[in-house]
Amino acid sequence: MRRIGRWLLAVLIGGWLPVLLITWWWNASADSTDPFFPPLHAIWEQFQYNWIWQFWGIHVMPTLQNLIVGFLIAVVIAIPLGVVVGSSRTTATYVEPVVDFIRSIPPVALVPIFILLLGLDSSMRIASITFAASFPILLNTIEGVRATNVVLLDTAMVFRLTRNQILWRVRLPNAMPTVFAGLQVGFQIAFIVAIASEILGSGFGLGAFTLIATDSFMILDAWTGVMLLGILGYVLNLVFDVVERISLRWYFGQRKLV
Amino acid sequence: MPGVNRRIPAGLVSAVVVLLIWQVVGSVGPLAGDSFATASEAIVALIGLFADSQFWVAVFETLQMAVIGFALSMVIAVPLGLLIGLSRFTYRSTKFTFDFFKVIPPIVLIPIAILVIGPSIAMGIALAVFANVFAVAIQTAYGIRDTDPTLLETMRCYRMNAFQQIRYARLPSAAAQIAVATRLAATASLIVAVVAGLVGGAPGLGRLAALYQSAGTADRTYAVVLTLGILGLVTSRLIVRLQRRAVFWSGR
Repeated sequence: MRRIGRWLLAVLIGGWLPVLLITWWWNASADSTDPFFPPLHAIWEQFQYNWIWQFWGIHVMPTLQNLIVGFLIAVVIAIPLGVVVGSSRTTATYVEPVVDFIRSIPPVALVPIFILLLGLDSSMRIASITFAASFPILLNTIEGVRATNVVLLDTAMVFRLTRNQILWRVRLPNAMPTVFAGLQVGFQIAFIVAIASEILGSGFGLGAFTLIATDSFMILDAWTGVMLLGILGYVLNLVFDVVERISLRWYFGQRKLV
Repeated sequence: MPGVNRRIPAGLVSAVVVLLIWQVVGSVGPLAGDSFATASEAIVALIGLFADSQFWVAVFETLQMAVIGFALSMVIAVPLGLLIGLSRFTYRSTKFTFDFFKVIPPIVLIPIAILVIGPSIAMGIALAVFANVFAVAIQTAYGIRDTDPTLLETMRCYRMNAFQQIRYARLPSAAAQIAVATRLAATASLIVAVVAGLVGGAPGLGRLAALYQSAGTADRTYAVVLTLGILGLVTSRLIVRLQRRAVFWSGR
């Protein structure tokens, strides 16, 4: 009972501001004739029409599909590579500067290169997403594997753990929190690149839909696209947080003890 | 010092190796052709761009958007975060809303920004501000709230007023958090300035890359992307160095 009460209070305290903002927007824009700021209720009607009835399958699914496929390929490539590189100090010293440089390039700027190489179809989109998302994952895996606590490694050595055992039981679990941070950044980048690759490589997808709507002055459609993209960005991040919390439960527990 | 001496050659060696691989991959094999520029072509194109005034104008425009956007977000976000962080109620009321906007990538807003502001320098600045303001404010507020309570109580015992508490306890303690947020914001501003050009048609290096790509000139496209990598690297190094000086007591 008390837990529910506290939860309710937290929702109230966190919730009044967004409710106030939306109500204000709703009322302030109700009679708006400004072509760029249509009334919120009109946007909302169009939103329901577009995303529940019309375009979910045509525009949203391809975006999500490219995003997930591209990201998963990046994970499958970058984590093992990072473990290999990070396990040896020498390789890491040589590989890190290059990875660091490529990561400094704004990820979206890689899209034109992939358009030149692969054209405008979905292989280009997936390749851009994979390439851009790989680097934060790679860098964090290298860092995580390399920065294993020395005392832990010494202890493992004293207990005569084999190299394999050290890798699987000591290095990898220890690297997990850092790897996850890399995965999260990688996923955010993947989302941005997914949208950018659609806008730059005209055609289908949520990003393309929204920009085409803008270019043809279909303001309501543009607003619904922006809103759905924003909501997707938020929800995907939330899903990621939940997955992290569940998979790293031991780590958060450990931190609480400290 | 041996660490320093060994690090520079390591980076140089791997850079040379990567350039060689790039050159070979681009000259023979399936990638060879007009759609892929080799390392030497890209570097020659880059040197060619150095002689082109259009290129320098683009560099300037991108930096202009990034720097003004970054400065504006700091000027808005740090005082805002300070105000929010002073009370538990304001902190908890704004946390959800700010977190919501914080994770929305600014690229999402570009279609609306094109309509409302138009593809201009102002658009790049506005997007950079949107990209940073929420994250920096929240981080600042967190740092302010995280001030050691014993320290605050001690100050109260000495009858130091609210202003003094902020000046001598809360702000220095939040400095580490603000520093982290600053570093992220600086790189984010640069990225957003580029994205605004590339995707939204704002002036600068982003638009230049898009133009070269649609003209099919692979070497120049690569040259612009290389420039962006160099700019990004220099920015993050510079910020780290400045930070060490500015918040020397935080040990970060």
